[in-house]
Amino acid sequence: MSSSSAPSSVASRLEEGIPAPAPPRAKSKKTWWSWGLLVPVLVFFILMNVIPTIWMLGLSFYNYTLTSSGDPRFIGIDNYTQLAGAGPLWLSLGRTFTFMVLAVAIQTVLGAVVGYLFWKSNKVPGRRLALTLLFTPMILTPLSSGLFWRLMLDPVFGVINYFGELIGLEKIDFTTDATLAFPAVLVVDSWMWIPFMALMTLAALGSVPKAELEAAQVDNLSFWQRLVHVIIPAGKFIIILGILLRTIDVFKTMDLVYLMTNGGPGDRTELIAVALYRLAFKSFNLGYSSALAVLLLFIAIALTSIYLFVLNLRSRREAENA
Amino acid sequence: MTSPIHDSPVVLPEENAPSQRNDKERRLTISGVIAWIVALIFFAPIFWIFLAALKTDNTILAYPPKFIFTPTLENFAALITKPNVGLYFFNSVFLSVGSVAIAIVVSYLAAYSFSRFKPAGTDFLMFLLLSTRFVPAAAFVIPFFQLFGILNFKDTYVGLLIFYVMFSVPFSVWILKGFIDGVSQRFDETGLVNGASRAHVIFKVVLPQVKPGLVAAFVFNIIFVWNEFLFNFQLGGRNTSTIPVALFTSLYDGGATNWPYVASLGTAYVLPLAILIFFFQKYLLVGMTFGTVRGEV
Repeated sequence: MSSSSAPSSVASRLEEGIPAPAPPRAKSKKTWWSWGLLVPVLVFFILMNVIPTIWMLGLSFYNYTLTSSGDPRFIGIDNYTQLAGAGPLWLSLGRTFTFMVLAVAIQTVLGAVVGYLFWKSNKVPGRRLALTLLFTPMILTPLSSGLFWRLMLDPVFGVINYFGELIGLEKIDFTTDATLAFPAVLVVDSWMWIPFMALMTLAALGSVPKAELEAAQVDNLSFWQRLVHVIIPAGKFIIILGILLRTIDVFKTMDLVYLMTNGGPGDRTELIAVALYRLAFKSFNLGYSSALAVLLLFIAIALTSIYLFVLNLRSRREAENA
Repeated sequence: MTSPIHDSPVVLPEENAPSQRNDKERRLTISGVIAWIVALIFFAPIFWIFLAALKTDNTILAYPPKFIFTPTLENFAALITKPNVGLYFFNSVFLSVGSVAIAIVVSYLAAYSFSRFKPAGTDFLMFLLLSTRFVPAAAFVIPFFQLFGILNFKDTYVGLLIFYVMFSVPFSVWILKGFIDGVSQRFDETGLVNGASRAHVIFKVVLPQVKPGLVAAFVFNIIFVWNEFLFNFQLGGRNTSTIPVALFTSLYDGGATNWPYVASLGTAYVLPLAILIFFFQKYLLVGMTFGTVRGEV
């Protein structure tokens, strides 16, 4: 399997018995095919990605507010300089970073525990059903998760407050409480994504060569020795990919917060994507919010590069081992 | 980008696939019992919504919460008779199935080209495609909002279908390229040497071998479109709203949340997803990692 990840190398071509490169006439036919097949995707890509991106870049240099009657006015990089000095936005970027560190840490650690638990119990009756129950939260749209949790967190009849009262706590309105709103969002986010990190942990454990695991068993290695010398070296890439996917997702977190707290109380739970949405559709300042969107676009591109770099590391290592 | 992208997925060794580990008899161990308890805890909030859907309005709002009650289907009966609910379901099914079907056809062709011909810029295009899915949706809502206004696409099936095709393409290309990479080029070359046309190779030789990739792309794109909220909310309208938007807009019914409605609609929204996850569990990994990690768990 792994040798197929580098099929273009000369050695593997020989190995697979692929004929020598085709003569020139066939080559031009190949070029026709290679681009012809791409045309439909490129049409969609240009229409639905390139044009909106250019549009967004353009807007970010204009003073354009939907609510004011004035025509859009070109103002150069003023939106960006305004962005650089906008305290609340940098605060919400910082808050997003805090949320990211906490969420990713909690979800990775607990996800690893849950994943390991399911790995150990691979012969449990009804494993497939149990995994379905475990994985359902991550497959929901965040909006519905927020909705479902509002029923449980309700300050008047919510079941969480009921359990709280059973152990002697007072009723709390979690989503409007200044100190508890942020942790509440964090808990719901973790509820959704611990299963995802458990899935990645299962995959990571699945990538450990069985022979090495058996050898470790024969050598009577302790749990920690097996973890450090056998499991982590083989599984770390997949875990890192999982962590990166979660990091990227935190920057995208909007619907969940929007539904649970709408960024409040005050700005306690205003993550950057929520701030952007509120800027665009509450104040209708399209030029300025486009400038922020461009900033987020660059963050996304940077994170994608890191993700692919790690993916690349992994494929290279596989190619070397093959 | 300084280094070329070897954009093939990480593939888990097959020797470790659970189907092979599972050939021994089923056993209930302590860790197995704990695993089941953990699964039930994670499912509890959804189960609570299922229960709410079977309660009357007064029972939902009762305090202390009622765990034992006489279930009733009247919320579902009320749901069916609501004027727009049928339309929401039709829109969700039509937009997701329609756009994903188109997306998979165009993505398969592109993925074949990326995998076999590697035209100049393949790595860069693959990178761009993936990055479009990594950008916060809120960032792109503004230009789409305006473009759809200019093109008269707002609240039309055509506009939303085109949007969701592009929404589904990046993931489809990634997942299908990974699967096509796994099919030896020898099949293509043998076919061509024996006089088959390139189209025959693409559709009759390679296509049948990447069926799992097609299934995974289909199932997960359906889920992603089924779940999409923000763009449907901003670009759609009363004719094209899908279930998530319906859940959101019906949240405040005369000031207070109409919980019987939300719970029954929420249940009808979740059940198809849970059933898909049960039957297509082996594609969950490749689905949730945008086609970059393959294997069974």
